[in-house]
Amino acid sequence: MKYTSQAVAKPYFIAAIALFLGQILFGLIMGLQYVVGDFLFPAIPFNVARMVHTNLLIVWLLFGFMGASYFLVPEESETELYCPKLAIITFWVFLAAGAMTVLGYLLVPYASLAKWTGNDLLNTMGREFLEQPLPTKVGIVLVALSWLFNIVMTVLKGRKTAISLVLSLGMLGLAVFFLFSFYNPVNLVKDKFYWWWVVHLWVEGVWELILGAMLAFVLIKVTGVDREVIEKWLYVIITMTLVTGIIGTGHHYYWIGTPAYWQWWGSIFSALEPIPFFMMTVFAFNMVNKRRREHPNKAAVLWALGTSVMAFLGAGLWGFLHTLAPVNYYAHGTQLTAAHGHLAFYGAYALVVLTMISYAMPILRGRAANPEKAQIMEMWSFWLMTISIFFITLFLTGAGIVQIWLQRISPTPMSFMAVQDQISIFYWAREGAGLVFLIGLLVYICSFFVKGDSRAIE
Amino acid sequence: MDAQSTHISLVEMSNYQLATGKKNLPGDFALWIFIFAEMLVFGVLFVAYAFTRAYHIELFNESQLTLSRTSGAINTLVLITSSYFVVRGVTAIKQGVSKQCAYWLTGAFLLGGIFISIKLVEFHAKYAADISMSTNAFYMFYLSLTFFHFMHVLMGMIILAFIIVKVRRGGYSAQDYVGVETGASFWHMVDFLWIILFPLVYIIR
Amino acid sequence: MSATFTKSMARNVFYGGGVFFFLLFLALTFDTMKVLPKRDNSQNITPAVAHGKKLWETNNCIGCHTLLGEGAYFAPELGNVYVRRGPDFIKAWIKGQPTGVPGLRQMPQFNLSDMDIDDLIAFLKYASEIKTNKWPPNIEG
Repeated sequence: MKYTSQAVAKPYFIAAIALFLGQILFGLIMGLQYVVGDFLFPAIPFNVARMVHTNLLIVWLLFGFMGASYFLVPEESETELYCPKLAIITFWVFLAAGAMTVLGYLLVPYASLAKWTGNDLLNTMGREFLEQPLPTKVGIVLVALSWLFNIVMTVLKGRKTAISLVLSLGMLGLAVFFLFSFYNPVNLVKDKFYWWWVVHLWVEGVWELILGAMLAFVLIKVTGVDREVIEKWLYVIITMTLVTGIIGTGHHYYWIGTPAYWQWWGSIFSALEPIPFFMMTVFAFNMVNKRRREHPNKAAVLWALGTSVMAFLGAGLWGFLHTLAPVNYYAHGTQLTAAHGHLAFYGAYALVVLTMISYAMPILRGRAANPEKAQIMEMWSFWLMTISIFFITLFLTGAGIVQIWLQRISPTPMSFMAVQDQISIFYWAREGAGLVFLIGLLVYICSFFVKGDSRAIE
Repeated sequence: MDAQSTHISLVEMSNYQLATGKKNLPGDFALWIFIFAEMLVFGVLFVAYAFTRAYHIELFNESQLTLSRTSGAINTLVLITSSYFVVRGVTAIKQGVSKQCAYWLTGAFLLGGIFISIKLVEFHAKYAADISMSTNAFYMFYLSLTFFHFMHVLMGMIILAFIIVKVRRGGYSAQDYVGVETGASFWHMVDFLWIILFPLVYIIR
Repeated sequence: MSATFTKSMARNVFYGGGVFFFLLFLALTFDTMKVLPKRDNSQNITPAVAHGKKLWETNNCIGCHTLLGEGAYFAPELGNVYVRRGPDFIKAWIKGQPTGVPGLRQMPQFNLSDMDIDDLIAFLKYASEIKTNKWPPNIEG
């Protein structure tokens, strides 16, 4: 560790992994509810499990982003963090808010939770991914601002690199676009229109800046390739991201009451969205091939390359699969969407956070890399999780295609629930793959406790 | 004729690079990723236009008559002339004559302003007639394509303005003119797109 | 031609491109907001519809169902349920939950009053009349 204040990243990473485990457990509950409908009913109805599953995902990724930036910005800026104490306070506030919110979901009927938390003052709850009670939403804004403040102040007092600049911009965008979660008009079309300003402009916009910055940082560290080269390509890739991704929002505006021209704008620009992901894959492999040093942390290199490939497959390819308006007309709101969502979130965001953790955690624990045995376990967990999520995606894709056929294309369309019966075999297979994923995650967690010879920090 | 000359100068440019044994494209590969991406977007839009037109030929022909070909033709001349000015500007800076370069580029900038003004008059006429992207398929394409291109012209003007300021401060020289050349490439691309767009949307019936 | 594309140029392209496309997005948004009243059925938003939307949200219906194709994929699309099933069926359905059939997916009992259910149905009726470019492909959603 070059700067002592980088240590604040550690609790963030630990919380991220713990919440990740929670996310997967609830995912397995939901997966089972797809085939054994009354599993855990009425204790944990499906909608509650789903809320916990998706909200934990968002929160653990945010923990990961925050930890990663507290680790990398001091190193980039060549100075101590502006205020480590603020980072620690923010951590506890965020963790407490997150825990209370999840407990609220699990223990209180949602309608009562809404009433008690002031939803009558300002209706914001009950929209997909934005289910958080008002105090939690305000808390997220405060936490994001505190994070942004701390990082920007650190950057301002030290060296200003492209990586920390792009990261700060991504964080700023994250905070700004989240403000649209407070806008919930009665007009359903407007509600949905601006709902995407949070959801799409986050994951296919500003979050990708954060992703790019984190990946570029790790690549500089593990390959030793010249910063000028890597930072230039970072700019090129994120430019393509914004160029395609901003108007690409249009692929959500086909069937929600918005004008028909979005079918053209959305199709054309979102069809180009795979390009930046493809560039990222080529770029990451190129940099690793041109490496000027052999970094002892082999696992981190694997995670980094994995991110670039899986982000391309999940966000790029599976996104493209159903983004063109004539295809989306049939695919919209089916298991195909779920397939894309799983691989994209895992490939782009879960993996980039795990990449950062894999690189930073050994250093935070006082060594350049983990012992060989621990790294091998880590690599096993990479392959277990990656292959199983890929199979989850394949099974959901199969389910989606059959669903589209039976429910929407066939001359004698079947009802939704009848179709669900027909495709239960896919859901069983998905649950099996999910169990393997859980095993992979447990292996990952175990890898932190493996003892052995570890090389001293350089 | 002018489209042809643009093409020829492009060919000459690449021949020159082949002869000197350097890269085939002026500038860095990364720059061309953007230019190719732009071309791709416009290319897809052009193809989409052509296909949609094939399904609604009468609607397209009928709506096309409401466009002012004169404005379009004037704007074509304006842009081609501006591209010529930009070429002269680049030549001037290659010879190290900053002052002349600034004059030529300012000329191109002003022509860009004329293009914008004429286009605004055209947009205003459509707006006043209550025509929008939702009116029919033709206007969807007409307004999308020309507005998207319109924004590119504005962008090109902003780039030119930055370059002019830097040229006037002596920021470029016969040895260092990469910035001028990059800005020029963008301007030529914007011009080139209009040269395809104009006949496609205004003329071909 | 010693041209090189430097990092600072890449940075400028990033800023320029980002701002350019965001402005374009704002322009399209502006146009959308202007056209929307012709499509979004907002003339039929009554206090009952507004209350129905609030009930829709505070009972987290989106956690299982889709509405105009957005939401969870666990239970049927409800954007067109008013057309598919009609108000009487919907009312009886909501009141009759959960079915308690072993092994099948269960919908919770939300203990809504008759008036609440009517408002919820008013909301679903309003949603079904939004012009969605003819989506979904058929009545099954």
